[in-house]
Amino acid sequence: MLPDRREFLIQSAGALAAFALIPEPAAALSVPQGRALRVALIGAGRQGRAILAELQKIDAVEVAAVCDVLPGRVTAGIERAPGAEGFADHRALLDRRADIEAIIVATPTHLHRAIAEDAIAARRHVYCEAPLASTVADCRAIEAAAATAATVFQAGFHGRSNPLYRRTWSLMRAGSLRDIVSVSARHHQKTSWRFPASDRTLERAANWRLDPEVSIGLAGELGAQQFDAIHWLINAWPERIDGAGSIRLWDDGRTVPDTITARLHFPGGIVLDYGATLANSYGDAHEVIHGSNAAVRLAWSNGWLFKESDAPTEGWEVYATRQQFYSEEGIALVADATQLAAQGRLRESIALPHPSLYYALADFVRSCTEGATVACSATDGARATIVGILMNQAIVTGSAVDVPASG
Amino acid sequence: MPAGAALSPVVTTAEPRLWPLRLATAAMGTRFELVLGGDDPERLRPVGEAAIEIIEDSHRRLSRFAPDSLVSHINRTGFARPVRLDGDMFDLFADALAVHHASDGAFDIAVAGGRGGTVLLDEGARTIRFTREDVAIDLGAIAKGHALDLAVRVLREHGVPFALLHGGTSSVAAIGAPPGMTGWRIALGRSAGARSIALRDAALSVSGPAGPRDRDGRALRPGHIVDPRTGESVPGAHLIAVTGPSARLADAWSTAITVLGRRPAALGPAWTTYRIEAD
Repeated sequence: MLPDRREFLIQSAGALAAFALIPEPAAALSVPQGRALRVALIGAGRQGRAILAELQKIDAVEVAAVCDVLPGRVTAGIERAPGAEGFADHRALLDRRADIEAIIVATPTHLHRAIAEDAIAARRHVYCEAPLASTVADCRAIEAAAATAATVFQAGFHGRSNPLYRRTWSLMRAGSLRDIVSVSARHHQKTSWRFPASDRTLERAANWRLDPEVSIGLAGELGAQQFDAIHWLINAWPERIDGAGSIRLWDDGRTVPDTITARLHFPGGIVLDYGATLANSYGDAHEVIHGSNAAVRLAWSNGWLFKESDAPTEGWEVYATRQQFYSEEGIALVADATQLAAQGRLRESIALPHPSLYYALADFVRSCTEGATVACSATDGARATIVGILMNQAIVTGSAVDVPASG
Repeated sequence: MPAGAALSPVVTTAEPRLWPLRLATAAMGTRFELVLGGDDPERLRPVGEAAIEIIEDSHRRLSRFAPDSLVSHINRTGFARPVRLDGDMFDLFADALAVHHASDGAFDIAVAGGRGGTVLLDEGARTIRFTREDVAIDLGAIAKGHALDLAVRVLREHGVPFALLHGGTSSVAAIGAPPGMTGWRIALGRSAGARSIALRDAALSVSGPAGPRDRDGRALRPGHIVDPRTGESVPGAHLIAVTGPSARLADAWSTAITVLGRRPAALGPAWTTYRIEAD
């Protein structure tokens, strides 16, 4: 039931009101309309296959090649992209398929740089998965290569493309949260982070996330994605990071911590409290930004705004429907409520109609075919990745790390 | 959706080191559980987690209720234009439509708009589309079996010698058999004297018009299998169990046979059907 304005005002007095953030339906569906784009995927592991599943939904994309060093993954990739040609070596792909305009890099993180540089040199558009690289030097190199490119380079950080995060960005620019008080973010999973290899000689390569030589740990592999969204939303970057990590569950000989906690110190005293674990899944991945007028909780497919009772009424609350959130009776915010109400669709689910990854890929396609502004540049991606790398360093060494001003 | 049978994968042979691992996840409104055997537990866990991941991925893709699932995407856009499918999804829809035809419409994934014949597959283009705007599909009666088939494929690819997987105890898949046994022993029904079968390299699905029951046999929910041809609920309190080579086909056939009330002639010799009367 859509509460009337008076009911809303009565119920919200004296209580923290929760508002579900709802993107505009047109933005949420987000179908690129330009000409067809011929794409190749390099790295057909789990993330690569997730990318293929989303690309299948975009009619303006033809996946023309799938490349992976493991033949089984090429086969599995082609299964998801009928008609694609298989490759074991990305250089052979770039040499032999001049018709392919765009490359999506979804290999293990430490292998991104070489592929991204080769693809840029071969004048292809590049979408490079987050995190961008596993060392600061590699991040800088990718950034430098992208800066000289005539083609599109998009770093695979989703927040800037996600309609819920964009809605939040607009609300924050309009002052809905007012002064930022603090930020917290979590990424909780229950999984060993070990991947099966087809034979033992490949076990170390398959488990690069647990190889301290190349892994940037939970901070880099999980955190960087969230840090970019937060940097963008609050328009600030941390100056110093301290943290700690330990093995809470997966005591199987690994040295990469399965549980980390860290603090990112921003200018003006704002602190981002971060935690990630592979030992408990409660809470999943989410970020909370507390402002003096409201808090926003973002969870990639859903988002809510919790308004303080003493915050001024902004108008949009009138168009909100209620939603239960913990013990609060919250209110769902609908962007174009009048139109939706006329269509009888106000009660439709508030979650996004596509996974977050879809929106980043749709933005990339639009940048390639329609010249749209790149959603997340190499510089933005490098900045978030470097924060992840430095956080991992702070955790591994036990000493606070200063973040260079340029990122 | 199949009703819960009492699944009792109780195995009493020794050698506990040969089955060290149980994994579980919540998906498709129920609990999936995997019991994995093998002599290398360190290797078994990542393999089991890969199987769990494919079950969770199937949930994300097949849920009719999650707006960001592939099924929701198809339901939104399947009339406006053909939707591209990957090989596994195409095979799933092909199986669903095959059982629809072979059961004379007793099994139908189309749950709104015109039923029967409103969902079209294009094998050459590997797409799905709807012939009417008001069509919606629901894979609830076949999704658990599909997820189990994909999970079994992952476990076999990695050489897991024996395993039992189930979704909500009503969809079951077995790889091999526990050492010294001819198959995984599974009770059909909850009573002490319930018939038990040995499942080996095969799948089982159990459906019943009476809906799921608690341990004392009380109905947890009213029956929810509807004859798609008439729109009427199927009467009765019995269970239909089907075993055969594919979990998703077993799911589809157990539902179809519950609706039909008999084993159809179209069902080949690879399939065994059981009717279990109420206690």
